[in-house]
Amino acid sequence: MKKQNSNESTVKRFSKAFIISHWVNAFAFFALYITALPLYTDFFNWLYPVFGGPEMARLLHRIFAVLFIVPLFLLIIFDFAGFKNWAKNILKWEKKDFQFLMAFPKEFFLGKSKVPKQDFFNAGEKLNSLLTIMCTLMLIGSGFVMWFPGAFASGVVQWAYPIHNIGFGLALAVVVGHIFLSIGHPNSKASMRGMTKGDVPISYAKEHHGVWYDEMVKKGEIKEEKDKSKGA
Amino acid sequence: MAYAKLVDVTICTGCRGCMVACKNWNDLPVDTRDYQGSYQSHDKPNGKTWNVLQMKEYENQSGGFEWLFRHQACMHCEEAACVKVCPEVAITTTDMGNVVIDQEKCVGCTYCVQNCPFGIVELAEYVNADGEKAERAQKCDMCNDRIHEGLEPACAVTCPLDAIVFGTKEEMLELAKERLEEAKLTYPDAQIYDPPGVDGTNMIYLLAHPPEVYDLPPNPKVPTSAVVWKDYAQPLGKALLGVTTMAVFTGFITNKLFNKEGHGHDTEEGGEINEETKQ
Ligand code: HEM
Ligand code: SF4
Repeated sequence: MKKQNSNESTVKRFSKAFIISHWVNAFAFFALYITALPLYTDFFNWLYPVFGGPEMARLLHRIFAVLFIVPLFLLIIFDFAGFKNWAKNILKWEKKDFQFLMAFPKEFFLGKSKVPKQDFFNAGEKLNSLLTIMCTLMLIGSGFVMWFPGAFASGVVQWAYPIHNIGFGLALAVVVGHIFLSIGHPNSKASMRGMTKGDVPISYAKEHHGVWYDEMVKKGEIKEEKDKSKGA
Repeated sequence: MAYAKLVDVTICTGCRGCMVACKNWNDLPVDTRDYQGSYQSHDKPNGKTWNVLQMKEYENQSGGFEWLFRHQACMHCEEAACVKVCPEVAITTTDMGNVVIDQEKCVGCTYCVQNCPFGIVELAEYVNADGEKAERAQKCDMCNDRIHEGLEPACAVTCPLDAIVFGTKEEMLELAKERLEEAKLTYPDAQIYDPPGVDGTNMIYLLAHPPEVYDLPPNPKVPTSAVVWKDYAQPLGKALLGVTTMAVFTGFITNKLFNKEGHGHDTEEGGEINEETKQ
């Protein structure tokens, strides 16, 4: 194993607010997941006593639901620029994004492939964001109805259940993929530093987010890097 | 074999003996209401009052006044929505066709309450063996304990006019048809209510008028949403979960096999998580 190059210069990627929002949201997601599992299938009924009974599990699900939504507002209030960049970026779909997705399976299973330069968020991250937003909307919308069934017509309440259920299944699939790509898959690990420390090695930015890198160079925020030969 | 309760509203006189018998046999708590503006006591059955006698003032086609009395309780659907949606398998259909709730398994999620096509199931306080109180789903169980011992439901025994009769579903349908002939002489719109949308019910009515007149759904069925939820979304969700897990697993293995030298920078400059890098 090679020692990491600790004096490699880095560039700021995410603000504190962005990072905190991400992790609070992630934590709440798992808490929601765990507290709802016994209601999803009775296979997980042994979780009820762990939470202090079904009533407690359901109360916790509601508390974490609130915690799940808060980060979005934190982000908007404390890092509006970061929020705007994210929102704009994930909605921008160009040829390079589709090329990235086409090349993705090869990269995923074999770890090597040629992909065009990517934005601040690569197409995979964009897709992950969009899917997450879709699932979140499904879960929050239907969850709210399920929380206050008395306030809605019975047809609406009845449809909230399958929507919450589908949102849950999709969200979990997306999250499993997301987590694997960020910590499990060897090719994406550097990006984790962006979500923990807030900065990433410049070489990483260049290699994985070429468009962003070029922009930064153009704006003079970083110096053009010499192409180093591959490390390992 | 399926057993059923036949309720012949055409001969019911609204004495409410069935309500009292039900409260009595099932040890149900007091459940008072303020005066509702009519003779009817409660607007509908609930967790503490499992059957309620509906009393309607009705003006028939010829302008005449009619009192409509209808014993209302759980319909014991053959294809019951509550059984389908309950995540705890707390609601089951017995060998006699009646639908029963096990309050020890129920967690009070109200899925059944929200999905009952007849609006019958509701939560009410339940005290378990340890004296712990909780809100649990409750409703008429067709006197499950009685019928499994060869007795009739309390309401059927009590009814002084045989407006409530209990027997095999076959017998009850036979009887209903016989009575329908008679009822038609007085009520041309008389009909048997055994809705096919829920595959028939094990409480069937002989009605004097169309179901709407009694606020009964003309074509009740298991909500489509419940079918989407439990027959498609749920199994698919579990499968999807399995597939993603498999993909991740395969990705992990194939990377181990074919990506030994890694991908240059990434694996080396990943900050502290690098500690767990496998190369
Ligand atoms: C953010 C807003 C959310 C709200 C307001 C919410 C609310 C609810 C409510 C009210 C229920 C009904 C059970 C009960 O009474 O406790 C429920 C069930 C459930 N929730 Fe959530 N929830 C939210 C987010 C989530 C998330 C993010 C997940 C997944 C990780 C999730 C997974 C589930 C599952 C699996 C069920 C069981 C439903 C079924 O069996 O189909 N919920 N939720
Ligand atoms: S309230 Fe009880 S009986 Fe009804 S669906 Fe939920 S767990 Fe099942």
